[in-house]
Parts: sequence; structure tokens; C-alpha cells
Amino acid sequence: MKYSASRNQIGSYIIQAQEEEIKRISLELHEGVGQNLFSILTGLKLVESGINEEQYKNYLHEMTQLIEKTMQEIRLLSVELYPPALITLGLLPAIKSYIKVYTSTFGILVELSSTGEEKHIPEQNSIAVFRVCQEALANIAKYADTSNVKLGLSWSNCELKITIFDFGKGFQKEDLEKNPYALGIATMKERMLLTGGQCEISSKIGEGTSIEISLPI
Amino acid sequence: MTEIMGMSQVNEVCEALKKRIGCEFVALALQNEVGPDVRWHYASGNLNDKYKRITVRFGKGVAGKIISSGSPMMLIDFPNDIYGKVTDHPIMLAEKLVSCYAVPIFFNSLPKGALLVGKREKYTFSEDDQEMVQDAALELEQILQNQNIG
Ligand SMILES: Nc1ncnc2c1ncn2[C@@H]1O[C@H](COP(=O)(O)OP(=O)(O)O)[C@@H](O)[C@H]1O
Ligand SMILES: [Mg+2]
Repeated sequence: MKYSASRNQIGSYIIQAQEEEIKRISLELHEGVGQNLFSILTGLKLVESGINEEQYKNYLHEMTQLIEKTMQEIRLLSVELYPPALITLGLLPAIKSYIKVYTSTFGILVELSSTGEEKHIPEQNSIAVFRVCQEALANIAKYADTSNVKLGLSWSNCELKITIFDFGKGFQKEDLEKNPYALGIATMKERMLLTGGQCEISSKIGEGTSIEISLPI
Repeated sequence: MTEIMGMSQVNEVCEALKKRIGCEFVALALQNEVGPDVRWHYASGNLNDKYKRITVRFGKGVAGKIISSGSPMMLIDFPNDIYGKVTDHPIMLAEKLVSCYAVPIFFNSLPKGALLVGKREKYTFSEDDQEMVQDAALELEQILQNQNIG
């Protein structure tokens, strides 16, 4: 028993340390690099408006476009890495902004619903839930062969339940055993266990895959 | 970029290319007239309409890399021959492509789009194939320039 408790603590510590690092990078991109690019963009636009030579004007215009593209990619990266909304606004807004990026990246529509009153969740747990949803959605883009996903949150007094259903091609348990390096699903379960919650996966060939997450509040 | 779906000339060039190479999928990504977004404006041989909702991410995936680098790119055996993440290749996943070859589309000598041909099996695009895609891209550049969009 003692051994398994400390193994859990180490697992939890590694995940937490990694999340802290990802958060730092994400904030640095969003607030450091992103803000600097914005200042450069504003400056270049000012210069562009003061220049008359057609050739330099065009060149500057291309530069400002390149900066805009880079800023946009940094915004998307930071939402994927560690959504700023998770810190400031909470889980639901963070999932909403991630879904926007997801649909525009993969073309897969996600129908989001939330019933009950949204409750406050400690950041360590909300990032765990967010990561599990992220992995589930990434798997759907990789394997499910579907255009539609339903993601539903249901809040009660003591628990948050999330269901993700993909209407896709589904898979069999044996598919999991075939690839020993596939650790995504195992990690989803482990993460939820560390929060005191659960993650159940069921799948039927030709019908789709469902992921059910529960988190005690 | 305004609606080019109805542009029969683009359609003609792409269909002809698809037939000549014998590939299953052809698509054209172009930068929007306003803002930095690059989208798939035309596709043929598609399995679904995901491509219509995809915004090509700058520097990511085949089209994103081509537009940031300005050079052609080939994948022979996706996802086994890629560097980086499988999820960096949305169009390959959405259309279940295994191989593709794509070239940049230039406007005012800057890469502003990509023409992509793809197959749903392992395949190495030959020199001849590559040349055909390149020729089609030049034709498309002409057509789009005359439409004064891009
Ligand atoms: N939504 C899904 N639809 C179909 N198959 C899936 C889905 N999610 C997972 N799978 C299958 O389960 C396997 C294991 O997934 P995972 O543990 O996340 O590993 P990985 O994503 O690295 O392959 C995948 O290789 C795939 O065969
Ligand atoms: Mg996975």
C-alpha cells in the first residue's frame, strides 16, 4: 500500500511539474512574444502609412501580414498549450475556446452543451479535465472518421460529468493491445484517477466511441 | 478571397490534373483577400466537407509549410513518414490521404496558396507527376491573377 501511495504521488508530481512548465511557456507566448509582436505591428503600420514609394509600401504590407499570421498562430498555440481562459474564466470558457480552434483546425463540428450551474474547480483538476477532453478530441480527429461530435457537461452539487460521443467508426479493445506505445487512453484514465474522479471509455464498431468523465466537486 | 467555387476555369484545370495524374483528391488553398487566413477554396474527390471549415495554420501541415517556405512538399506514406505530430496534418486526416504532393501558388512573387494532389494509398509522385502539378499551378496563378483576386 505504502509503495502504491508514493508511486501515485510521484505520478501526480510529474504531471503537475509538466503542467507548470507548459503554463509558463503558454503565458510567455501569449503575453510576452504576442504583446511584442503587437507593438511591432502597430509600429510598422504607422511607418507604412507614412511612406509614399509604392515598392516599400508593398514590402511593408507583406511584413505586417506575416506578423499578423505569426500572432494568430501564437494565439492558437497558447490556447492548445494552456488556454489563458482556464486561469481567468474557468473550465467551460476554456473548452469553448479550444473547440473553436479545434473546428477551424480539423473541420470537425463539436456540439457543446452544459446543464446545471457551473461550479468552481481547482485549477489542478480543471486542467486534468481539459487535457482529457483534448486527448479525446485529438483521437477523434486521428481515428474516428467523423464530422460531428457531441460534448456535454452536466453539473450537479457534488460532481461534474462530461460525455464525449463521436458517431465515428469505433474500435475494439484488441486495437488497444496492438499498439503498446499508445498511452493516450491510459493517461486519460490515470489523470482522472489522480483527481479522485474517473474516465470510462466504450466503443462500438460502426457506431462510435464514448468517453465519460466524472469529477467530484 | 471571394467565392471561386463557381469559377469553371479553376475547376477545369484541377479536374484535368486529377485525371492526368490519376489521383483521388485535388485541392486548392488560398489566402483570403482580407486578413491572414488561408482556407481550402476548392476541392475535388473529397469524402466530406470538412475542408470547407479548415483554416490552414501558418507553418503547419503540408499547405501551411508550403506557404511559409515557398517550396513544394511530398508525403509518401502518411503518417509514417512525417516529422512532428499526426495532428499537424488536418487535410490528410480529414480526407484519409496517405500520400500527397503540393506546390505553392504565387501572387506578386509571394506564396499565397497551395495546390495539392493526394492519394489514399502509399505512392511516390514521379518527376512527371510533379511537373504536371507545377504546370497546373502556373495555369491557376494566371487564372486567379486575371480575376484580380489573391
Ligand atoms: N475516437 C476514436 N475512434 C476510433 N478509434 C479510436 C478512438 N480513440 C482511440 N482509438 C483507438 O485506440 C487506440 C489508442 O488510442 P490512444 O491510447 O489515445 O493512443 P494513440 O492516440 O497514441 O494511438 C488508437 O490507436 C485507435 O486505434
Ligand atoms: Mg491518442
